[in-house]
Amino acid sequence: MLQIEDLHATIAGKAILKGLSLAVNSGEIHAIMGPNGAGKSTLGYVLGGRPGYEVTGGSVTFDGQDLLALEPHERAAAGLFLGFQYPVEIPGVSNVQFLREALNAQRKARGEEPLSGGEFLKLAREKAALLRMDMDMLKRPVNVGFSGGEKKRAEMVQMGILDPRFAVLDETDSGLDIDALRIVGEGINAIMRHPGKGVLLITHYQRLLDYVKPDFVHVLAGGRIVRTGGPELALELEERGYEAVA
Amino acid sequence: MTPLPSRKNEAFRYTDLEALAGVWPVAPEEIVIGPGASEAMSVVELGANDVARHLVVTIEERGAFDLRVLNAGGGFGRIAVDVRLGEGASFTLGAAQLGSGGQTLELVTEVDHAARDAVSRQVIRSVLGGQATGSYLGKVAVARGSDGTDAGQSVRAMLLDRTATANARPELEIYADDVKCAHGCAVGELDPTGLFYLQSRGLTPPQAKRLMLQAFIAEAFTGAPDEQRLCEAALARLGEML
Amino acid sequence: MSGESSVKDQAARDAAARVADYEHGWSADIEQEFAPKGLNEDTVRFISAKKNEPEWMLDWRLKAFRLWLTMTPPDWAKLNVPAIDYQDAYYYAAPKAKKVLGSLDEVDPEILRIYEKLGIPLEEQKVLAGVEGARKVAVDAVFDSVSVATTFREELKRAGVVFLSISEAIREYPDMVRKWLGKVVPVRDNYFAALNCAVFSDGTFVYIPEGVRCPMELSTYFRINAENTGQFERTLIVADKGSYVSYLEGCTAPQRDENQLHAAVVELVALDDAEIKYSTVQNWYPGDAQGKGGIYNFVTKRALCQGARSKVSWTQVETGSAITWKYPSCVLNGEDSVGEFYSVAVTNNYQQADTGTKMIHNGARTRSTIVSKGISAGKSNNTYRGLVRVGANAEGVRNFTQCDSLLLGKECGAHTVPYIEVRNPSAQIEHEATTSKISDDQLFYAMQRGLAQEEAVALIVNGFAKEVLQQLPMEFAVEAQKLLGISLEGSVG
Repeated sequence: MLQIEDLHATIAGKAILKGLSLAVNSGEIHAIMGPNGAGKSTLGYVLGGRPGYEVTGGSVTFDGQDLLALEPHERAAAGLFLGFQYPVEIPGVSNVQFLREALNAQRKARGEEPLSGGEFLKLAREKAALLRMDMDMLKRPVNVGFSGGEKKRAEMVQMGILDPRFAVLDETDSGLDIDALRIVGEGINAIMRHPGKGVLLITHYQRLLDYVKPDFVHVLAGGRIVRTGGPELALELEERGYEAVA
Repeated sequence: MTPLPSRKNEAFRYTDLEALAGVWPVAPEEIVIGPGASEAMSVVELGANDVARHLVVTIEERGAFDLRVLNAGGGFGRIAVDVRLGEGASFTLGAAQLGSGGQTLELVTEVDHAARDAVSRQVIRSVLGGQATGSYLGKVAVARGSDGTDAGQSVRAMLLDRTATANARPELEIYADDVKCAHGCAVGELDPTGLFYLQSRGLTPPQAKRLMLQAFIAEAFTGAPDEQRLCEAALARLGEML
Repeated sequence: MSGESSVKDQAARDAAARVADYEHGWSADIEQEFAPKGLNEDTVRFISAKKNEPEWMLDWRLKAFRLWLTMTPPDWAKLNVPAIDYQDAYYYAAPKAKKVLGSLDEVDPEILRIYEKLGIPLEEQKVLAGVEGARKVAVDAVFDSVSVATTFREELKRAGVVFLSISEAIREYPDMVRKWLGKVVPVRDNYFAALNCAVFSDGTFVYIPEGVRCPMELSTYFRINAENTGQFERTLIVADKGSYVSYLEGCTAPQRDENQLHAAVVELVALDDAEIKYSTVQNWYPGDAQGKGGIYNFVTKRALCQGARSKVSWTQVETGSAITWKYPSCVLNGEDSVGEFYSVAVTNNYQQADTGTKMIHNGARTRSTIVSKGISAGKSNNTYRGLVRVGANAEGVRNFTQCDSLLLGKECGAHTVPYIEVRNPSAQIEHEATTSKISDDQLFYAMQRGLAQEEAVALIVNGFAKEVLQQLPMEFAVEAQKLLGISLEGSVG
């Protein structure tokens, strides 16, 4: 469902992605691992359409559609979700207000009816429970005063509510303690482990993969995929380090 | 009346008091916070009439005063606040100025750290569209010997149209060396990361902008006893402007 | 030189004749001609006549003088300026030019001796340790009001660079001077600028032709030597398309008891793709520890970034003068043009400084950076005052301002007055200001490592000012670092 071919991208003129190719089929979870500065986060931002990340070559197709031609909100409406490594704080705007507006904007773009306040709150309550998040947290401003772990859990609640078809999760495991890691892992499985969906899991460490079993593991280094394997590759990386493996 | 602020040559003066004749000066509203007392006040100006108010606040030792201002009413709105801080006193000002059409909005503050160990925090947020002009003239004065002073000013403005004007003059006048005084002032930029974050969740660019402006204004009211009421009033005004 | 009109005005001749009789010793025992004490139209005519100026120049001066009479001194700065008696000063003093000088050897040895005492190098080559081998510095030495020696003319001439005293330029390049003089800083700009227009005695003119990178750093050392002599320097630098020049201005002054007024005007013009780097180390006599004496430095410096992609960078280290009133500014008209202002201002004892910059953004995508470091000690007052203005039609403007104050002691003042005026929604303007002192921990730490207290202070102050100092050309950076330490002597303890 996601087809990346020979992708080149630059930030402020500096080449970061240098010919990255990758295909994710429906029902698959792929993990991307790699050392710092390999271009992992850049890949996430390029897929999400962040301004300042310039695609200088290659293509990205999402369900046959040219993803790169879409604005960030159009990509979201098309079913793409980007889990941020550093979720942004928006003071004065509650999670509930934000997510309801976002969900209804997506639904409108897809020609669907908006959810009423009651319907939305029911949905939000259900997804918050899935991530063991107190509903009161959702009434607070977006990410303001949240700990690192709470922010990551809130991202997953957002993902649950928005129900994307494809998720790019950028270091969703960072900042999580053991318990939170398990909850987030189970949340990802519950929301995204589905024959019609796909996941790209960007991570430094193998530990999240204990909970979310990937079908493929890729090593990203120097702006391209240098190795691809099964879940065992992640274990090998953990043991021997990137330099030995990549 | 000459639109404010006006300037004389290079005199670096905004407020042309001559142009204000007839409107200014007004009788000051005196507010005294007694020793150790703690009080809060909100000034909400949303009406159609011109506004000119002058608050003169004395906060005695260890007293605390939380003042919130929503300056959005009238063709001309000038709110001046003079504050004198006693030893260990604290002053919080959160103010939002929302202007459109031909409005001229001015917030003029002078916070005088007259004694030791006082704390002042000012957060000013302006959103201006149409031909509106919004100005913040804020002076923080630290008297000789007022060691332990901690004063902060955060001043930000956002312009919606090319015809609007934002002016800011956050001024520090410091005569003591053991102080923590800082101001930050920024005009004209909604955080691009925040905008992208909102859009990545499916909000259209105008929706994302409105939410970011809501967040922007809310910073002035964070922690106020009537935070919600102020935010709602500001949001309603913002809705009219957009 | 031929064809330029000399002054025919009889009154000027009379004035000049009267002055020739005037006797006045001056400390370095150089024969000198003074204009009569006081200021009136005759003074203006005298100066113009002494300069052998064309008619249009005299007219310009007289117009400026008449305008000045109607103006009032600015009173908005945070400065306490004693009333100045403009009639109780001399407006022209020049070493007697016996002949046109061909080389340094012909310069009055007395002048050379003073320069040497001040440590101002006037050699043909200045070898700098550690910097890309030897670099050349052309020095147009302004001794009091008149250029007495210009070196490196030949090499500059080969490059097509014009580097002259402004008096020569008025005679030799009248069209160019006429085109730009007063265009960046208009006569009516302010009281002191108008005064300068009327009575400026000399200064520097630089023209860098299209595409030329000036082969050396240009340098002018200003000094004030005569008692009761106002200094009215005038500098005009025009950088034509695609050219580059780095200009250094430095000054020191011997101790004097009388307050002296200095009201210079500096105008810079940068055309398309041109770049001007203007660096100043200002170390005029600040007055004594009791606040007696010292120079009044009321200077108007402004750059016109007229061309697309042009750039002007002001760097100043201000340690001297009793009172400083100075705002080197950039008018950014050209699209994508860039203005920079880097400043260290030190005040000690009873010094007062009100200095900063103005960045006027008129062109699209213009950018500016302001870094100001103010250091106050003793009973001094140090104010940063700056304006950032963005016009309604200037899309995509960027400004960043950082303003830091350091207080040494409990009797000084440090003030920050930024003005921000924005009329275009696409602008991004950021201003940050902080105030701090040298902590006891820092001092103790440095002293425990073996530094004496004053060395420790100098070290910390230099660290505080580093961002600015590193903008200076090497020959200035070293001097400036020393100056910071010297200026703050006795301020802690």
